[in-house]
Amino acid sequence: MQRRSFLKGLGAIPVALGVGSLPILAKEKPKLKSKNAMPFKKALEIVTNGKGAKQSAKVKLIVPEIAENGAVVPVKVNVDEPIENVKSIHILTTKNSNARCADVFLSPRNGKAYFATRIKLGGTQEVVAVAVLKNGSAIMAKKPVKVTIGGCG
Amino acid sequence: MAKRKSIIKIKPRKYKVGDIVKVDFIVIHPMETGMRKDKKTGKIKPMHYINEVKFYFNDELFTTILPWETVSTNPYFSINMKVTGPGVIKVAYKDNLGEVNEKSKKVKPKG
Repeated sequence: MQRRSFLKGLGAIPVALGVGSLPILAKEKPKLKSKNAMPFKKALEIVTNGKGAKQSAKVKLIVPEIAENGAVVPVKVNVDEPIENVKSIHILTTKNSNARCADVFLSPRNGKAYFATRIKLGGTQEVVAVAVLKNGSAIMAKKPVKVTIGGCG
Repeated sequence: MAKRKSIIKIKPRKYKVGDIVKVDFIVIHPMETGMRKDKKTGKIKPMHYINEVKFYFNDELFTTILPWETVSTNPYFSINMKVTGPGVIKVAYKDNLGEVNEKSKKVKPKG
C-alpha cells in the first residue's frame, strides 16, 4: 500500500509542474506591438470613410505570387479611370501589424493613375490596392503573396 | 542633420511636351519598424521612417505620398507625370524624427 501511494504521488508532480509552468512561459515573451499598429478592417474603414470598397477589374495590381524575401516585395498599381476621377490610391496588407503601407494623393498633372513601390511583408498574406474616386466611392483589387522569409518585425 | 542620398529618374530618357513620363524617386533610408532588436546590445531599435513625400513641378504641388514603416528599406516610389514644358521637379521629404530634405531635377523636353 505504501509503495502504491508513493508512485501515485510521483505521477502527480510533473502534472502540477506542467500546468504551473505554462503561463510563466507565455509571460516571458510578450508580443511586440508597433506604435502604429492597426488591423486591416479598421484601416480599410478609415481609407474608404466607412463605406467599404467594391472589387473591380479596373484596378490592376501587380505583385509576385511567391516572394522569396519578405523585406522587399515590389507592388505596382494601375487604375483604368481618367485621372480627373481618381483622388487617391492606398496600399494595404491583411496581416502586417500595421496594415497601411502607403497613401498616394494624385492630381490631374499625373496624367495616369499609376503608383509603384516596394513593401515589407511579415508573412504569407494578401496585398490590397484601394482607389478612392472623386464621387467618394472606392474600388479595390486583392492578390495573395506567398512569403518564404518574413521581413516585417 | 545628416544629409541623405537620393535620386530622381525620369523614364524614358527622351520625351516631348505632352508626353506622360515616369518619375522614380529613391532615398537611402533605414526605415526602421521599431520591432527589430539590435544584435549587439539586445535593445529594440527605435522607429525611424519617412512619413511624407511631396512632388512639385515648378513649385506646384502635384502628388503627396504618405508612407508608413511597412515600406522597404531604401524606399522607392514611382508615379506618372505629364510634361507641359521645361521646368524643375522638386521632391521634399520628411521623416518621423523631424528630418527634412529635398532634391530637384531639371525637365528638358525635346521637340
